[in-house]
Amino acid sequence: MLAIEARDVAKTFRAGWIRRRETVALRSVSLAVPRGAIVGVLGPNGAGKTTLLSIFATLLTPDRGSVTILGHDVVREAAALRRRLNMASGRPSFLWSLRVGEIVAFYGRLYGLHGATLARRVDELIETFELTTHRRAQYNELSTGLKQRLALAKALVNEPELLFLDEPTLGLDPDVSVRVRAHIRSLRRERGMTIVLTTHYMREAEELCDEIAFIKDGRILARGTADDLKRQIGLGDVIALRVEPPAPWLRNAPGVLRCADNDGWVRCTVDDAEKRLPELLRQLYAEGREVKSVQVKEPELEEVFVELAR
Amino acid sequence: MSWRAEAVAIWAFAVRNLLMATRNVFFFFELLFWPIVGVVSIGLMTRFLELRSEATAFVLLGTIALSVVQVCQLEVAYAVLFDVWSKSIKHQFLAPIGVRHLTLGSWIVGMARGVVIFLILAVLGWWAFGVNVIAPGVGALLAFLAGCFLTAWIIGVGVCALITLFGNRAEAFAWASANLVLLLAGIYYPISVLPTPVAAVASLIPLTHFLDAYRAHYGFASEFSHPVVIGFGLAAAYALLAHLALMAAVRHARSSGLLLKMSE
Repeated sequence: MLAIEARDVAKTFRAGWIRRRETVALRSVSLAVPRGAIVGVLGPNGAGKTTLLSIFATLLTPDRGSVTILGHDVVREAAALRRRLNMASGRPSFLWSLRVGEIVAFYGRLYGLHGATLARRVDELIETFELTTHRRAQYNELSTGLKQRLALAKALVNEPELLFLDEPTLGLDPDVSVRVRAHIRSLRRERGMTIVLTTHYMREAEELCDEIAFIKDGRILARGTADDLKRQIGLGDVIALRVEPPAPWLRNAPGVLRCADNDGWVRCTVDDAEKRLPELLRQLYAEGREVKSVQVKEPELEEVFVELAR
Repeated sequence: MSWRAEAVAIWAFAVRNLLMATRNVFFFFELLFWPIVGVVSIGLMTRFLELRSEATAFVLLGTIALSVVQVCQLEVAYAVLFDVWSKSIKHQFLAPIGVRHLTLGSWIVGMARGVVIFLILAVLGWWAFGVNVIAPGVGALLAFLAGCFLTAWIIGVGVCALITLFGNRAEAFAWASANLVLLLAGIYYPISVLPTPVAAVASLIPLTHFLDAYRAHYGFASEFSHPVVIGFGLAAAYALLAHLALMAAVRHARSSGLLLKMSE
């Protein structure tokens, strides 16, 4: 079952009455998100990530293409859909004079909660996001971290089936980021929630996401698991060896893409370290060479990002 | 949406506006300072000009009506303005609500504030200048207040539509629009003193008719036949148009991306 099925979605922003300016944000984007999955949308600034999320969240209508979310058409059946989704941003903003509890309660009422049900829900969320001691603080008195936790609490007020998170840990302290990530994982584990998030933190994407879509200039350039992406890009694994005496044939060995010597180490980029390392070691030992050290390094998602963003 | 869900969503905006009103100092100025300054200064001017008591009542009723309309329409405009100022507008349009919920919720608070202002200014007008606003009777008074609140709702929703359509650039309309009514609806003078084409425009404003009907009780000949009926008829038509305009503006903002631009 798919939570999101987007086909050929396009969006162009137009501005100016006299001198018309056009910015193409999305060009023919197709994406399928299975129910219960955590999918990350990565890409450089201005790539179209937030535009795509906003279309999915019914905040923006696409110019072209079709989007079906939880079985509803995102344009024609937006009203029915809104009840079942929610969104939080890494740069949250709410009414400056309202208190933490009042903000959660306000949005709870917009989703039809009232009376004891609303009070219970507000208490539960405030406790979950460790906002109890700040419950009576006004929004403009909160720190960045507290504001983000409040944004997450607000986003869960209607117990959505589908949650959109736009850079949920932006600017947070590392310990808070770790807790937020743990909470995101628990939402999927305990409630089966489908989550689509954008992030600039590659570690976060690798840690949280079942699948990653890399978007640039309004197009999805690559998608799959983090490992799939690394393979698709062909960055290869790096095998670093300290061998005595040196083995010049290494750079021409099967599966070796390139080699570089540095500080007594030979760093060979290979297509698949798991497959190539035993073959290389076997041959080195057969030649009577001494292998002093071996290190294997898989490529980071960050390298994939840099490669794709280039 | 069930009736209960409708009521809860409307109540959400009423509670929000009420909380904001109690925590921001500029609301005090809107609620008390400017309206009282208006009635006192205009009242003193009537003394200086040695106007008859009927003429004083004519002018002060207009001043009171303007204050009530201004405060109530601003409160309706706050339905969108609060979220534009705090850059949180996308969150309310992400929720399963319609524009009716935000405008009606804000209108409820606007009417409450309007009633408070009316009572304060009515007491002040009676005590300082001898103008008895309940002399025409409860029925006439209720029709007059209903006319003021409907006019305020129409202007407020129109302002919301303009802000949703043009963004922060249209913010000035929130304060300027009620003053346009001041010029046209005959706040300080009968519309017969206006040039004929302008008077024709004035006759299309509901408040003109409600003021005309109420002032008739103070001895001023009515300029319209059945002003209350015409006033309610016009108000109903404009209310519908304003509501449709706001719906269209929100649709346009979803398509143009303005909803996102006005958010975090």
